[in-house]
Amino acid sequence: MCDVSGKLVAWMDGELTENEAADVEQHVRDCSGCRNRVEAYGEVSRLVVTYCDAAAATRPRRKLPRWVPALAGAVALAALLVFIFRPTVVKPMPIVARAADRAPASVPEAGSTPIKVKAKTVHRRHEGVTRRNPNTDWAFADPAFQIVIPAEAMFAPGALPEGTFFRADLSMASDGSVQGLRLLQ
Amino acid sequence: MSGDSLPFPLPFQKFAADSCEATTLYHELRKPLLRYLSGLGLSADDAQDAVQDAFLRLHKHLVAGGSQENIRGWLFRVVHNDARNRQQSYDRRFGQSFDPDFDLISAGATPEQAVIEKEKLRRLGNAMRSLSNAEQECLLLRAGGLRYREIAEVLDISTSTVGETVERAIRKLAEKCNV
Repeated sequence: MCDVSGKLVAWMDGELTENEAADVEQHVRDCSGCRNRVEAYGEVSRLVVTYCDAAAATRPRRKLPRWVPALAGAVALAALLVFIFRPTVVKPMPIVARAADRAPASVPEAGSTPIKVKAKTVHRRHEGVTRRNPNTDWAFADPAFQIVIPAEAMFAPGALPEGTFFRADLSMASDGSVQGLRLLQ
Repeated sequence: MSGDSLPFPLPFQKFAADSCEATTLYHELRKPLLRYLSGLGLSADDAQDAVQDAFLRLHKHLVAGGSQENIRGWLFRVVHNDARNRQQSYDRRFGQSFDPDFDLISAGATPEQAVIEKEKLRRLGNAMRSLSNAEQECLLLRAGGLRYREIAEVLDISTSTVGETVERAIRKLAEKCNV
């Protein structure tokens, strides 16, 4: 490596003093190795400028930021969970109205429109009316069902003649539960 | 935005005798500034934004009565600092810098010449990435047309250090690119 080899680029860039530049110029004229270096350095300098110009003219194909796929996955998972575990709406059991003519108890047909018990019936107990006899006065002024109970269900076998049954009025609460039962004579 | 026209009127009444000189300054420095920023790895859009921001800051600097000496070095220093901030943000967002599209600069060359030139540029790009930050910055500021003294001011190092760094960087690139 020649002594002036560390000044070749500065010489090419015109950064040396007049005396230094004259020395380097003389050396380059005589040294084929340094002439080749000067040529190579000039080519590298040209390539650097070309490289930067190409970069300045390039519109990058931007990659998605790293958090985008993670966010998309989280949203998809949340949507899936909501779909699977979506809250179910609990519909209150329809309260079937009492048959107008006190017909025997019957199961309402599927698809038939349930008729709500009149508010009068449901809220009567909360209206502050003084009851003379709570055991007989509740709700049975307007029972929902009339049912038939076989005697075998209430008494030991043989206690009553076979085929004996009892009829009873059944009153329903607003939530569909049995509110009361009264045997009919 | 093409970036060929001034984004705002520069207050160069003190600095320049007329608006033509201000426009000349913008046209003279815009491309070297873009070249420097792109060489550092900024996208073309970010480089354009950085240059616009630099001239906006120059406008405010001059309106506020700032120094009018070495405006060129002042602009390069501004975009240099801006580039570092943008580059960190860019790396965080996109993981890595992009590769230039060398097809853009091969127009007019024969297919064989274009292939050879692209291969040289590809090797140069790889070699550039192996340089230290200081070597890259000195090299790119030199490619932007700055004198060693101006580079020293931008990077806040001595002029002799700039000379040594540029020499070393060019020698490394020549060896790695085998030119």
